[in-house]
Amino acid sequence: MLLPTDPGSTDSELIERWRGEPAPLLALLHAFHDRDGYLSETALRAIAQNLRMPLADLFGTVTFYHHFSREPQGLNAPRICTGPVCSLRGGREMLAALASQGATAMPCAGRCDEPVPVLQGQRVLVGTKLDQLVHKATILPPPNPGGIEECVFAEIRQPGRNTLAGYRRTGGYEGLTRAVTTMTPSAVIEFVRQSKLAGRGGAGFPTGQKWQAVADAVGQPKAIVCNADEGEPGCFKDRAILDYDPFAVIEGMTIAAYATGATRGFIYLRYEYPEIAASFQRAIDAAVAANLVGNNILGTAFHFALYIRRGAGAYICGEEGSLLNSLEGKHPFPRNRPPFPVTHGFENLPTAVNNVETLASVPQIMRRSPEWYQGLGRNGHAGTKLVSLSGDVQQPGNYEVPFGLPLRTLLYEWAGGPLPGRSLQAVTMAGLSGGFLAKDDLATVTIDEPSIRSKGSMLGAAGMIAFDDRRNMVEVAHNAMEFFAHESCGKCFPCRIGTQRLTERLAGASPQTLPIWLAEVDDISQTMKAVSACGLGMAAPLVIESLVRYFPEQVAQHVAKVSD
Amino acid sequence: MEKTVQATIQLDGETVNFATGETIYEIASRADKFIPTLCYDPRLQPFGACRLCVVELKGSKNPVASCTLKATPNMEVTTTSERIEKFRKTLLELVTSENPTIAVSPLRSYASQELSLLVERYAADTQRFAGEHSGHSRLDDKNPFLLRDYDLCISCYRCVRVCAEQEGDYAISVMNRGFHTQITTEFNGILKDSACTFCGQCVQTCPTGALGDKKALRFAE
Repeated sequence: MLLPTDPGSTDSELIERWRGEPAPLLALLHAFHDRDGYLSETALRAIAQNLRMPLADLFGTVTFYHHFSREPQGLNAPRICTGPVCSLRGGREMLAALASQGATAMPCAGRCDEPVPVLQGQRVLVGTKLDQLVHKATILPPPNPGGIEECVFAEIRQPGRNTLAGYRRTGGYEGLTRAVTTMTPSAVIEFVRQSKLAGRGGAGFPTGQKWQAVADAVGQPKAIVCNADEGEPGCFKDRAILDYDPFAVIEGMTIAAYATGATRGFIYLRYEYPEIAASFQRAIDAAVAANLVGNNILGTAFHFALYIRRGAGAYICGEEGSLLNSLEGKHPFPRNRPPFPVTHGFENLPTAVNNVETLASVPQIMRRSPEWYQGLGRNGHAGTKLVSLSGDVQQPGNYEVPFGLPLRTLLYEWAGGPLPGRSLQAVTMAGLSGGFLAKDDLATVTIDEPSIRSKGSMLGAAGMIAFDDRRNMVEVAHNAMEFFAHESCGKCFPCRIGTQRLTERLAGASPQTLPIWLAEVDDISQTMKAVSACGLGMAAPLVIESLVRYFPEQVAQHVAKVSD
Repeated sequence: MEKTVQATIQLDGETVNFATGETIYEIASRADKFIPTLCYDPRLQPFGACRLCVVELKGSKNPVASCTLKATPNMEVTTTSERIEKFRKTLLELVTSENPTIAVSPLRSYASQELSLLVERYAADTQRFAGEHSGHSRLDDKNPFLLRDYDLCISCYRCVRVCAEQEGDYAISVMNRGFHTQITTEFNGILKDSACTFCGQCVQTCPTGALGDKKALRFAE
């Protein structure tokens, strides 16, 4: 259980509380961080000694996470979102005004539908003016205007859905009951495989195939890891699910565990959602009390234990190798692949790492049918995708779209199009990782991976940020590249240095003529895309490539200004 | 008993035997192929950071790092191509942009010329991507043995890995991330206050001379 840390706890009480638990390091660091308001040298020495870790390793690893403070009072210093949307809504001005209070910038904190989030200790306030900051509940996903059938959001607007009673009243746990009491694990896998559900974190790997690989892999105990480290700028879909439908995630993980033979599960939750750490733990406790998680689930021989671990501010920990290293208390560099997590995951044992959205789809599929889920998509695509839409549109929010829906339908019919008197200039794909789509492509593309990839971009986790005709797209691209540079882990050379050099070129450094600027940017981008060690470095150049492709006149102006 | 068939790969069009567990880089080295690297040290676990050792693998859209890729039968590998040579040169131009361009004394360490030799071989323009520098030298560390001139560091982590994997000292690690990565001891102090035993392994594996043997340098003076 994740208890609020008693301010009176001694070091040894904290250590005893966590030492015997699985994946203890992050939990223990948070316990000291919460109690003391920072991570002191004494705390790190005590942790290293008791977890038998080299002190230099622990120190280095702690400095990797930008939300762990090493200064007294650091925990409560305000962190203000300067993500791509919040930068346009006063985030940077608020940061400057609070600088004297030790405020620091934080990358996108997943409130793009209601900027600007300010994280202070264990709570998040939102508002575009400092004197108007308030604590607000997450915005419920707006229903789509066409009454188009949903999967993940089908029941999310039902009152009380985030309580166990309310969840069960609206079809919750029908899927698990059906799986555990009437189906073999391999039948469950076959069911999910036939639905064509695939990884909704962006990689799109078929879920049934992943589960099959874990089920087939040798080694125990196996694990289910829910990737709730939603860190891609412009993505806030997982927050809505975790807030309003936590039991769907728990049920989905439990079904995954039954199917694969896993006996333990971890939810790796991003630091920027502190309220969810508490509310989700209450949901787990309720599921345990009702014998839906724990030993002998639903009176069978099936056991599954579930743990929450909080991240501490590192986008790369959404990459599954980094996430697993982080969970294990190691330096969160990505892992070399192969081997893959399905055989060598958490503690080198077979592990299914699935996104929140993927797992939340599973209970609905299990209580209905694979054919039903497949049929939700259009033009031969199976199922649905949650899109987090934000920026310069009338109604930002999380929308569940059928795969194959024209992008313009989402932008203009569902979200009301641009603000009055404005026109849309560009929309990002995959949060920031897909770069922009603009001009004619906005009118022709459909929301599915093949269509968006044919334009040199990708759907990914489906964050979409709209920018209207007021925006300077070079500045937008600069902000994006700064983010990638800030979040680059520092392991592989092309990403570590390339993101820095591209940021400099978008900021104005190295005055050059346009042909030289373009050749430098192209060489760096091509190298990063081809040889980076993980997806971060491979995707980061897409934003500058799309800038050059769609907005050559803005690039020319920028370079001319710099070389003057 | 079934006859054991020797597993082979195609390496630059030639059939080459390999043993289970061997990486493409190891096989290529045995075959006297030149593949550049900066983060590789045969004594250490393959790390896959510098990406200079990428090779073409049939069936793979992107080149793959040969140091981390274990051979499987009938792989078709090409150790060089036009695009790979271009990537390698661009990588070297990126790496050299991190640090001031200076000639490093070979007395600093055994491996200290690795970077400069590659720069020469690829005719890499060290000023092409000039920008902010990374790494901060620890000239405040007055120990008589190890020079810590991190202005020249390229964050290959060979020092960190040799300290852990060969010496088992775990005296140094990596702090911060991305471009602000810095080799550090516990609490970013000096070596004397750390678990360092001054064995000198880190110095000898450093490919840029960022770590130097102060005794050798003193002797030369």
